[in-house]
Amino acid sequence: MCGPGLIWLLVFLLVPMLLILSVSFISRGAYGELEWTVTLENYRRLIGFGALGFDPLYPQILLRSLALGATTAFLCLLMGMPLAFFIARLPGRFRAAALLLVVIPFWTSLLIRTYAWQILLAPEGWFGSILRHLGMTELYPGTLAVLIGMVCDFLPFFVLPLYASVEKINWSLAEAAMDLGASQWNVFRHAILPQISPGLTAGLILVFLPATGQFVIPDLLGGAKTVLLGNAIQQQFGQSRDWPFGAAMAVAALALVIAGMWLFYRKSGQKGEWL
Amino acid sequence: MKKYTALLACLWVCCVVASAAEQRLNLFIWSEYIDPGVVTEFEKQFNCKVVVDLYEDAESMLAKVQGGEVSLYDVAVPPDYLVPTMAKLKLLAPLRHENIPNLKNLDTKFANPPYDRNNRYSVAYQWGTVGILTKKNADAPLPESWSVLFDPKRQAKSFVLMDSMRDTLGAALKFKGYSLNSTDPKHLMEARDLVVAAKKRSRGFEGSVGAKNKVAAGQVQAAMVYSGEGARAVAEDNELVYFIPSEGSQIWVDNLVVLAKAPHRDLAEKFINFLLEGRVGARISNYSQYATPNKAAMPLIQPEDLKNPAIYPTPEILKQLEFLEDIGAKSRLYDEVWTQVKAK
Amino acid sequence: MNRPSLRLSLWSALAYLFLYAPIAVVVIYSFNAARFGAAWNGFTTHWYAAIWDNPQALSAARNTLLLAGCSTLISTLLGTALAYGWTRFHFPGRRWISGLLHIPIFIPDIVLAVALLLLYSLVSPWLRFFELGLPTMVLAHVTFQIPFVAIVVRARLAGLDPALEEAARDLGASGRQKFRHVTLPLMMPGILAAAMLAFTLSLDDFVVSFFTSGPGSTTLPILIYSSVKRGITPDINALSTLIILASILGTVSVMLLQRKNR
Repeated sequence: MCGPGLIWLLVFLLVPMLLILSVSFISRGAYGELEWTVTLENYRRLIGFGALGFDPLYPQILLRSLALGATTAFLCLLMGMPLAFFIARLPGRFRAAALLLVVIPFWTSLLIRTYAWQILLAPEGWFGSILRHLGMTELYPGTLAVLIGMVCDFLPFFVLPLYASVEKINWSLAEAAMDLGASQWNVFRHAILPQISPGLTAGLILVFLPATGQFVIPDLLGGAKTVLLGNAIQQQFGQSRDWPFGAAMAVAALALVIAGMWLFYRKSGQKGEWL
Repeated sequence: MKKYTALLACLWVCCVVASAAEQRLNLFIWSEYIDPGVVTEFEKQFNCKVVVDLYEDAESMLAKVQGGEVSLYDVAVPPDYLVPTMAKLKLLAPLRHENIPNLKNLDTKFANPPYDRNNRYSVAYQWGTVGILTKKNADAPLPESWSVLFDPKRQAKSFVLMDSMRDTLGAALKFKGYSLNSTDPKHLMEARDLVVAAKKRSRGFEGSVGAKNKVAAGQVQAAMVYSGEGARAVAEDNELVYFIPSEGSQIWVDNLVVLAKAPHRDLAEKFINFLLEGRVGARISNYSQYATPNKAAMPLIQPEDLKNPAIYPTPEILKQLEFLEDIGAKSRLYDEVWTQVKAK
Repeated sequence: MNRPSLRLSLWSALAYLFLYAPIAVVVIYSFNAARFGAAWNGFTTHWYAAIWDNPQALSAARNTLLLAGCSTLISTLLGTALAYGWTRFHFPGRRWISGLLHIPIFIPDIVLAVALLLLYSLVSPWLRFFELGLPTMVLAHVTFQIPFVAIVVRARLAGLDPALEEAARDLGASGRQKFRHVTLPLMMPGILAAAMLAFTLSLDDFVVSFFTSGPGSTTLPILIYSSVKRGITPDINALSTLIILASILGTVSVMLLQRKNR
């Protein structure tokens, strides 16, 4: 029964990944064609040793992407954790509506919600003029705009898994801790946090990993000033016509994600049975 | 199990058949570059459907064609310097001149061009220049120079750069006083640093059409655009002005080509022949506000366009303009530099 | 458990505002009479009428729905079968399937997109079927839909009461009958939810479609992206508003359906 699905994934998932891995080791012709000669040039360039001398450009892009992904996850935590608790504390019928209000953006196109920030942050719009009067102009395009877009787009991805755990919290544990005289922070840390840990970790991973490899949000809101891993890969498969180098970057992104997944599985103990 | 495969097979066939049905032409062209009325007229006259896909810069078009779409598109519109490259990469089908009698309508300057002798692969479509479109600022007039983008002391309040490798690097080279076709790595690194510094002060990279729209909307004060976008923007709003920078700039010719594995080669050649008609050529140029290479179209061009130096540069301006050339294997250097520009 | 505090409520209200700001902006500006820019220039509804006269938008909508429909059908079939086999049967290498399935969920879509593009360009000179276009897009969409379908159906299967199936077996039903009359109907809500998820994923997909599309197979997200790159115009906002409306209707109806099934 598993057969057809597995074969599909093998052919259209594993084989392309292996192709990407292979192509990352071949060269690029003078005009951008694939030249099937093996080389480590692409990886050398990735760590900084390009044709025009040493340049830590690509490690910087990688670190920048990781940093942005982590910041996004952190901001989603700040914004989303209270939201999850808020929804869990609402009485029955309001709870369903509040949850629906979080689900709707989740199912609405990310592209639309992202380009909308171009309008919101444009300097001649009403919001932009408020910002201008406050002295903050260059929000868009730039890194801050990208961050805002990322947090807004990924917030539902964080809240929904977290809520799944928050919903099931056994509050009697927290009450017992409070009765025993524990401070608010300790109550949270020892009675609540362990209970929501699976949902929390899931939410953080579901934000951090995709955010690191995002291409659309930096492309639309970053104005080419915020180049992340996703943009760099797109550039190689587009204008720069350097598929081998793009493949090497894709391998780097893949390695990152697999490392993240592996850490996540070790932490959650099982092989993703929670999903 | 068998039911699944049958169902899947049916869906497959449906998809493929649906896309292969009618007589059609797949056109790959710059945005806002062809009058939709011309396309409709061709569809009616030849009883076919024209599918139009758009691109904003030449290298992205080349990337798509190189990446496999050579067997999917019929006609593309590369600039002059890319025609030899595409021919070398075996991406172009030679034109069968017997199917394109209207070739005789091409002005002698554009027939048998240096980048494609005897029009073996290409036919000139439109030509124009690269310049700057900006909003006139009466109290603080902007210098008619590339320093509007590249000099932090004399730059426009806000500007965008063009998302096109040879065009933008060429502008930087010109600002520094070098040739647009320089292959000296030192020159290119200077150009790279100039563009990267400008990028940090800019509001991003845009294609010519996107840049024109931003200036027209007042979102930026200046932008690098092609002459047609400049002329059209000025025509709609006379607060805007298009100029060729004093350091010199680029003149280019865009060409119609048939791709090597075009699925509808005959129809493609008929399309090119159709576009070469005087009446059609004039209609296209009056719409796009670019200059026409078609001498049969010249009598039908709007008189004010002929007098417009933005569209048809005067001899003095022509002296400052340089054509981009195919630099062969050295284009690899440009690709690397541009990758760094986009990535920094 | 007590009701949320005022501080919590205010913070959450801010979060909701933040979440809905972009959606609100798109809807509001679809009525802007100004052709470009974010400056307001008067109220008009003619951009909505203009959509019907726009052959590009109509063909993109048709492609999007065709693509989503085909891919959802295929991926739901394959994913459900996969989930069933994975949950109910024990065979070596079972644990690796979990890892395999999670890859498309976590990898950046651009990596999947360029990997498939690479596969297609290497294979298409020999097999014309793999030339970029709607078929290749269907293949690509199914690939990222299957894991989502499998996981959702699996969750449903895992939550089923085994007593029901045992009862059927005790009553003498064969494996096939048991599946058709007991297991499958019980799985149905999960299968439908998975199909809805797959459908939405395909409708909204941009990156994978962008890299695997060919001439004439532009979808709505691709159309919106290309137009936004040239400058946001109210007709794009109008189109986006209609899409948002469709998403909201879809989400609400699915939620209502699920509540009924419980």
